[in-house]
Order: sequence, then structure tokens, then C-alpha cells
Amino acid sequence: MKDKKLGKKVKQFLEDKKYFQINSSVNDGIVYLDGHLDNWENIVELGHKIGQLKGVEEVVNDVLSNDSVKATTEPKIRLSKKFYDPILPKKADVVIVGGGVVGCFIARELSRYKLDVVLLEKESDVCGGATKANSAQIHTGVGESFGTLKRKLCVKSWPLFDKISDELDVPYDKTGLLIVITNDSLSKNIPGPFRHFLCKYLVPLPIWITAKMAKDKPKIVRKGKLLKMEPYLSEKALVGVLMPNYGIIDPFRLTFSLAENAIQNGVKIFIDTEVTNIKVENKKISGVVTTRGTIDTDFIVNAAGVYADRIAEMAGTREFTIHPRKGGTVLFDKKTDKYATHQLNEFKLPRNEHTKGGGVLKTADGNINFGPSAFEVPDKEDTSISKEDLDNILEKYATVFSYFPKKSVITYFSGLRACTYKEDFIIKPSKNVKGLIHAAGIQSPGLTCSPTIATMILEILEKEGLPMEEKEAFNPISKRAVVFRELTLEGKKNVVAEDKLYGNVVCRCEHVTEGEIVKAIHSSIPALTVDAVKRRTRAGMGRCQSGFCGHLVAKILARELGVPMEEITKNGGDSRLFIGKTKEFLAED
Amino acid sequence: MRKVHKFTCIGCPSSCEIKLFENDGQKIEVVGAGCKIGKEYAIKEFTAPERILTSTVRVENGVLPVLPVKSEKPIPKKLIRESVQALAKVKVRAPIKQGSIVYENMLNTGVNVIASRNLEARDLER
Amino acid sequence: MNVDTLVIGGGPAGLAAALSANKNGVKNVLLIERGSELGGILPQCIHDGFGTVIFKERLTGPEYAERYIQEIKKTGINVKLETMVLEIDRNKRVIAVNPTDGLLDIQAKTLILAMGCRERTRQQILIPGDRPAGIFTAGVAQRYINIEGIMLGKKIVILGSGDVGLIMARRFILEGAEVEGVYEIMPVPGGLTRNLVQCLQDYEIPLHLSHTIVNIKGKNRVEGVAVAQVDSDMRPIGGTERFVPCDTVIVSVGLIPENELSEMVPLKLDSMTGGPIVDETMETSTAGIYAAGNVVHVHDLVDDVSTEGEIAGKAAARFGELKERENPIKVEAGENVRYVVPQIIRKKSFEQNVKLSFRVKEVQRNTSVKVFAGGENIYSMKERVVRPPEMLSVSLPSSVLEKTQVVKVVVEKDNEKSS
Repeated sequence: MKDKKLGKKVKQFLEDKKYFQINSSVNDGIVYLDGHLDNWENIVELGHKIGQLKGVEEVVNDVLSNDSVKATTEPKIRLSKKFYDPILPKKADVVIVGGGVVGCFIARELSRYKLDVVLLEKESDVCGGATKANSAQIHTGVGESFGTLKRKLCVKSWPLFDKISDELDVPYDKTGLLIVITNDSLSKNIPGPFRHFLCKYLVPLPIWITAKMAKDKPKIVRKGKLLKMEPYLSEKALVGVLMPNYGIIDPFRLTFSLAENAIQNGVKIFIDTEVTNIKVENKKISGVVTTRGTIDTDFIVNAAGVYADRIAEMAGTREFTIHPRKGGTVLFDKKTDKYATHQLNEFKLPRNEHTKGGGVLKTADGNINFGPSAFEVPDKEDTSISKEDLDNILEKYATVFSYFPKKSVITYFSGLRACTYKEDFIIKPSKNVKGLIHAAGIQSPGLTCSPTIATMILEILEKEGLPMEEKEAFNPISKRAVVFRELTLEGKKNVVAEDKLYGNVVCRCEHVTEGEIVKAIHSSIPALTVDAVKRRTRAGMGRCQSGFCGHLVAKILARELGVPMEEITKNGGDSRLFIGKTKEFLAED
Repeated sequence: MRKVHKFTCIGCPSSCEIKLFENDGQKIEVVGAGCKIGKEYAIKEFTAPERILTSTVRVENGVLPVLPVKSEKPIPKKLIRESVQALAKVKVRAPIKQGSIVYENMLNTGVNVIASRNLEARDLER
Repeated sequence: MNVDTLVIGGGPAGLAAALSANKNGVKNVLLIERGSELGGILPQCIHDGFGTVIFKERLTGPEYAERYIQEIKKTGINVKLETMVLEIDRNKRVIAVNPTDGLLDIQAKTLILAMGCRERTRQQILIPGDRPAGIFTAGVAQRYINIEGIMLGKKIVILGSGDVGLIMARRFILEGAEVEGVYEIMPVPGGLTRNLVQCLQDYEIPLHLSHTIVNIKGKNRVEGVAVAQVDSDMRPIGGTERFVPCDTVIVSVGLIPENELSEMVPLKLDSMTGGPIVDETMETSTAGIYAAGNVVHVHDLVDDVSTEGEIAGKAAARFGELKERENPIKVEAGENVRYVVPQIIRKKSFEQNVKLSFRVKEVQRNTSVKVFAGGENIYSMKERVVRPPEMLSVSLPSSVLEKTQVVKVVVEKDNEKSS
């Protein structure tokens, strides 16, 4: 559709829907909005509505409200120079901005080729954004809307994970997903007995069909068998649809393995390095400016999560806006493991169009978790979890059980999905700047689609002129470091005999040893903060939440990094755990 | 001038709320104590409150960086803060024997501050 | 390796148990401890008040620990430090590991579990908000300040008025920090009056009863908390919220007996105590496995912990010799009693007296503690006031329990007439 025609259509829409305070313009299929609305919810609603108009390629939404938040974070160095002070190369063939699972997968795939690849991550560790706060599910695509890139890539992606988990030694568990249908699955407006019949016999069918279209092998499971499979399910469960290929992966482990494998094959990864500007000459990328210096390059892959729009803006092009959608998760004690073997989702219509609804999930280590929730928030830096969200999560997901020990919470967290207003991935070259390739708008099923996104990005890069000559010496195999708790008795004996640091169990809840922590600190993608150690080793993820091991981890970090304990941080920057030694603060009055 | 001072007795779980009435430090009257212990407690707290001081001091060459210490006897409550300031300047060298004097005659009270534990010297071979 | 009695945990319970087992004739006693020194939690409890019952002195935690540690040194009981138990089974086979010995495969004839407890976390009580650095449980804060010599922050807010929280309030002040206040969700304080006076009143630290923290704010480090008043159901009252700027939050909201190993056996646990069900000899539901100290139920006085350890050690020494009653006596918690330990009286004769330890559910004044054996009142003692934070005990001569099957401990308010 031509811009003029589209522009008129948009203006007509705004008028019809009485958006009098909104201005719009259209350029190359992208709708630009600005003006003022009452609140953030309305801004998002407008963005969605415009995004859904036929012919609209993307939406740049500059509309403001009293509660909209302007990103105010200043670029900074987050880690002490005493233990992290890398020198950036002056040039690179490709610079990837963003060290989440997508950025790291792209890096790993690019490392197959004879290229100088650099990955930059602004936080003090990779997987610092949505990658560390998602549901860890490997979706099959059954829950994605038809016609989306999300669906197309998801269906192609999930079968790849057997090989990926093998090559990269990542825990991958095909728990299967059980869609549970109850009398509450349909609206109460439908009369009881009729609703019961529909729920029991009809509702499973379209679910089964869409699962088959996602190349899964779904099974309809009647009540008797359902309760045998999941003895703690509520009596109100009528029937279920089992999707056996739904899996759970360890997103931290996956990202670290990808990063390590990429480094192994020649990629240079720099954490705590923030992009502050992008150099463009004659509408072509010529370099990237960071907090640690400038790198000349012709190609930038924009995998910057919630800040992908800001990266594009630095290159002088505004092609989409990211609005963050928050998702909370509540994690339970491993003792509750027995309550669910599969992932569980209680089917309810009408479905929220922007979320698959989360469910009763598992982590790759077996912890049951509820979530993730989904709701729009204005602040890209706000990962707080509200009482409302906690209450809603605990209430909503427990209904699938006859009883669930909700008191066994050990922790909870929130993450932000990077969503565009068309609610789909943007995997394409920039419209206006040559050499800038977007891997943006990554929301669920981003983790699942990371391999196919990476493949797509490589195809685009090649098409855009990046010479791709394969390396003979590429090694796709990345082996995990020792995980003490997973070894047999014999294995434990041997590993301690080799290195006595493995004989010092530091994290009591998860049986993490000093040996593993030291290895993580000195790995090729080093753990330089308490949280980074936690993500690599699980120290602090147990029921006591680092009550026992916290000071031990801090001490080991201080020793290995050669700094006093007071300089150890939780995750870089101002997150110092301590303020100094005792008595230092008594000399003052 | 007649004044009232309130004390919560710590003698037993009854935790009697005791009122002590005094007139310029004279004519002390105690009301509310459930027993003799409470009455004595209130009078002591009013006339000369004392506390055992417990704190830490920094250590050189020890297996731990700080050493717990305590005053051998209670010292006047009003001197606690100043005592802690005085201890902040102390540095002891390991090995340290439990009971050894870490600070002599704290603020002229005649009370010594002693080590609460044994503390070994750091093994130089480690 | 084979040992006669293996004690897991080198805190006050384990120390007393090991010494007692040894004293009562056990030849090969092994004490294993995961920390780098003995004493458990005691080395970091630098305040005094320990040992008033056993030693008739007011000792500091380290001093109390030192008494037992010196005894251990004299006896030559085998001690392994920095040793973590990984597995334990009902046959008393224990797998442990340490840097020096490597993996240890220990077969014990008797086991004494003395693992103590851990602290309830901020997450377990579902406080909403951010997850910044600067949030510590009180025991962890105590460890940093008193053992690591590390200072945690400058402006402190404390949630929970139990003894650990109160003690830490004073500790922070005496290390130069400002304690903005102590917030307690219950309408009554949780700790001893002594600590309320000497930790809060002495330093003019405000205590806010019926209050809790409803939000923690802080991007990287704590920036402040929102506190609010709560109603009788402990729900925050709308409109009472107040923002308190601070840089450190100390969470002191309770202790949980650490029974991961107990559950591995598996031992039968008491849902009210969180610890294993034990009889009057501290023997658990598995013959030859004993438990003592905070792992059984959280104590107030360390003296009681040592006493339990002593009983366990003695019982372990007599393993196989003590005869059991035909019908074990069930011990029940009656009116206003939260739980009673031991939960069962099983042996024919162990000691002359059986000590029942219990806690009340609610504060009550002018009450009587009564014990009923099969419906008959065999004991009655008036108490001016009873409070949940103060454990009570009753010592009953074994002879009085001969013919009963059920013993019930009850705390009831005295009638106007009878008092």
C-alpha cells in the first residue's frame, strides 16, 4: 500500500476512534505517532490498533502520557577495572549488540565463518535481560498466531534442540505440555450441561489440530488417564491434550554454552561494554562507539532487547518502537516437584491475544514455577514485582491442582519482553541504513526461535554483502564444566581427588563446590559478580537463597579477582553488597 | 521538681512496667514492680544503669579479621558509645588467648575488656 | 569408614552430644561440621546471656562454645571440619565430602542429627518490589559483622522483633550505622524484654508493632522500603503506607529447622515444629538415629540445646540396651499449646524424669500449665504470663506415666474463683 493511501487510512482511523490528540505520518510503510493520551495502557492500545491495520509494516509510537517513562540510564562502566579492563579491537567484520540468547546464538553461528566477530553486552554478564527471566520453555508453536514469523520460526526451531542440547551440553527436558480442560474453560454464559459437553468433547479438537500443525504428536487424554498421569490435578479436570514435544531448557546454560562455543571458535565477547553511538556514513554503517572505545565495522546486528529501538535510533533510523511487557514468575521449593510431571496449562477462553498464558512449569533443574504473567509497563528498567502480580500468579495457576503447597515459595522474579506494536519479530535489514540488521522485537517464543533467528540473520548478512567463507576448524561442541551434584559417587570421588576444591561444598542447598565456582570465575565468559556465579553454578538458587553460601561466594570472588571483599557486587554497578570493613564507620562522629 | 521515669523490668517474663517517682533525685518511690527484684532493678536503672559491653576489635594475622570482646564487668550505660569508639582504634595481633586483656581500664571505669575466644594466627603456609 | 556414633553438626547440640556419647562409653565418636570451626552459630553471637542455667554465668556465645570445644580437645573425639554431608540413608550410611579427605563413605552404628536451623527469607514471606543488593537476613548480617568484619550499610531498617533482629539493631548502632526502626507484624514484640530494653530502648530505636514492609525499592542497591500498618489479620491497611529511605534491609522473620538430611532417611517429621518426631531419649522414628537442638525445634536458651544433645549422646551410647514400653505414650498439645517435644514417650526407663518442652500459641496472663495423663490432672503450675517466644518446660517423674497412653499439655486461663 502506498504511503499516501496508508496515511489517509491511519488518519481516518484516528478520527473514527476519536484520537483527537494524536498526530500521525507514514513513511515507507511505517506509521509514526505522537501526541498525548491519558495513560500508558491507552498508548499501548493505540499502538496495537494501528499495528493491526492492513498495510502497516511497523509502528513508531512517540505518544506520551503522564505515566510514560523516558529511558534515563546513563551509559556507564559497571565492573571494577581491577579485574575487568579489556581492550576492544579497532575493527570487526560484524558487531553484535546484545548478549542475550539471540545475540549469543548469532555469534555462535557466525563463528562458523572466517570472520572477525565481536559481541557487545552492556550488563556485567551475558543473558542479563529477558534471557534470564523467561519461562525456559521450548515451545512447539502451537500457541502462536497463524501468519506470524513467530509461528513460522517456532515450528521449524523446536526440532533442532535435540542436536543443540547435545552439541552444547545443555540440559533439555521434554516434559511435555498438558493442556487441561475443565468446565471453566469456556465462558459461564454458556449453560452448564452444554458447556460441559463442549469442554469435554469439542474443545480438545482444535487444540489437537493446531498441535499437529506445529509438528507435535498430540494425544487427547481422558479424565481417568489424566489423573493417573498427574495425580494432583483438580477433580474438575475433564480432559487433557498432551503435547509430548514441549520441552524445558536451561536458558542460562544455553546462553553460556553458546557464548563459550563462540569464543572457542574465535568470537570476541565483551561484557560491561555499552554502545553509546553508531557511526553512519552515506547511509551505511561505518562503526560503533562504546564506553570502551570505537570499533570500525560495516555490519551491526541489533539484538539489543528492550533497547533495540534505541540502537536503531543511534544509527539515525526509527523503524519500530519497543514497548516492554512484564512477566512475573514464582518459583517453588524442589520438595514440590511431585505435584506436576508435565508442564500444565489450564485452558480458558477467551484467550488474551498477547500471551499464551503461562502455566505450571518446570525449570531444567526440576523446580516447579508458576507464570509468567503478562502486562504492559512503561518503564524499560523496572523489573520489580508487585503484590498484585504475586497474588494473581499464586491464585491463577494453583487452580489446576486439587491442592498445591503455595507456602513453599523460594523466590520470584520479573522480566521484560521486548515487544513491537505488531507483536512479531523483526528479523530484517534496516530500511534506511545499510549494514544494520535487526534481530528485534524478541518476545516469546524467542528462546525457542533463537537457532532459526540466527540462521535467518546469517542469510540476511550474506545477502547484504558479508563474505561468508566457512572455517574448516569450526568446533560445534562445547562441554559443560563439572557439575558436582550430577556426578555419581565414583565421579565425585575422582573429581575431588583431581582438584580438592571440589571437596569444599559451598552452596549447601544445591551442593555447589568451590571448584565449580572458581572455574566459573575464570571461564572464557567470566563470572565477575555474585549473580553471574549464581547463574553459572546455581550457588544461591536453593531454598535458603544464599543464606548459607552468600558470604562464601563473596569471599571466593574477592580472592580470585584480587580485590577486597567490600568491592564485590551483586550484578555490577552500584549493587555493592557491603560498604566496607567494620570500625571504619566509627571513627566519624 | 517531681519527675516520673518508666522502666520495663527484665527480671522475668512478667516484664512489669515500673514507674519510679523522684524529686530532684530524692524521695524515690517505686510503683508497679511485681516483686523485690523489679524494685531493685528500677532503682539501679535510674541511679546507675550499667551494661556489659560486647563488641569486636580488628585483628592482625588472625584466622579471622575480627575478635569478639567483652567487658569483664558491667560499665556505666552512658559510656557504652564512647567505649565502642575507643575499641575501634584497637588492633590486636593473633594468636590471642581467651580472657586476655584487649583494652585495659576502659574509660577509667577500672573494667578491662577481654577476648571472648581463642583466635589462632593465620597459617603462613596456606 | 566405620564409626560407632556419627554426630552431624558441630554446634552446641552436636558438641554436647559427642561429649556425652563419649562419656557414656562410645568408643569411636566422629563429629562432622561443615564450617571451618566448631561452635555452630555461637562464634557469631558475641553478646552475653548464654549459660545461665548450665554454668550459672552470663557467657558470650564464643565463651560458651569454647567450654565445649576445650572438652572435645581433651577427649580426643575425632572431628572433621569443612565437611559437608551429601547423603544419608536409613541404614545409617553417610556420604560426606571435604577438601582434605575427599569423599567419605561412613557407616555408623548410631547417628545424631544436630544440623540446627536456617533463616526464613524475604522471598518466603513474599515481600514485593525490587531485588537489589543490601537485603540480608539477621543471622547472615551477624556473621558478616562479627566474623568477617564487614559492614553492610549505613541506614538500616529491620523487619521482625525477634531476638536476633533486636540484637542486630544494637550491633548496627555500635558499628556506626543508623537504625531507622524495627517493624514487627504482630501486635506484640517477638523477643525477650531484656533485648527490647537493652537493644531498642537504650538506643532510642523505634519499635513499630503491627507494621510490616510492603515494598522494597532499589535498582541496584536498596534505596528504601515502604512500610504500612497491618490489621488483626496481618493485612496491610490501605492509606497507612510510608516510604522510608534506607540502604539496608534486615529480615528477621523466623528460623526453620534444617531437615533436608532428615527427609532423606526419611524420618517422620512434626509439621508444627518442622523437625523430626522424637521420644524422650531424642531418638527419631528410625532406631539408632537421634536428633537434638534446633533441628528438632527452635530453642531460646542454648543451655536447653546442650541438654538435649547430652540426652541424645547418652541414648546413642545405650542403643540396643533400652527396653521399649509395650504401649508408647503419645504426647499431645492441648489448649493454647503449639507443640510439645518429645512427641512420644517410648522407653521403659531412661531417666528418672521426663522433660516436656513446649511453646504456647498466644500470650496469656494468669494462666496455669496443666498436664493430663489419660484425663487425670497430674501436674499444675501457675504462670503469671506465658508468651510464644519463651519456651516452657515441665519435668514429670517417669513413674507417674506408667499407666497412661496419652499425655496432654494444656495452658488455660485461671478462673476468677480459683486464682
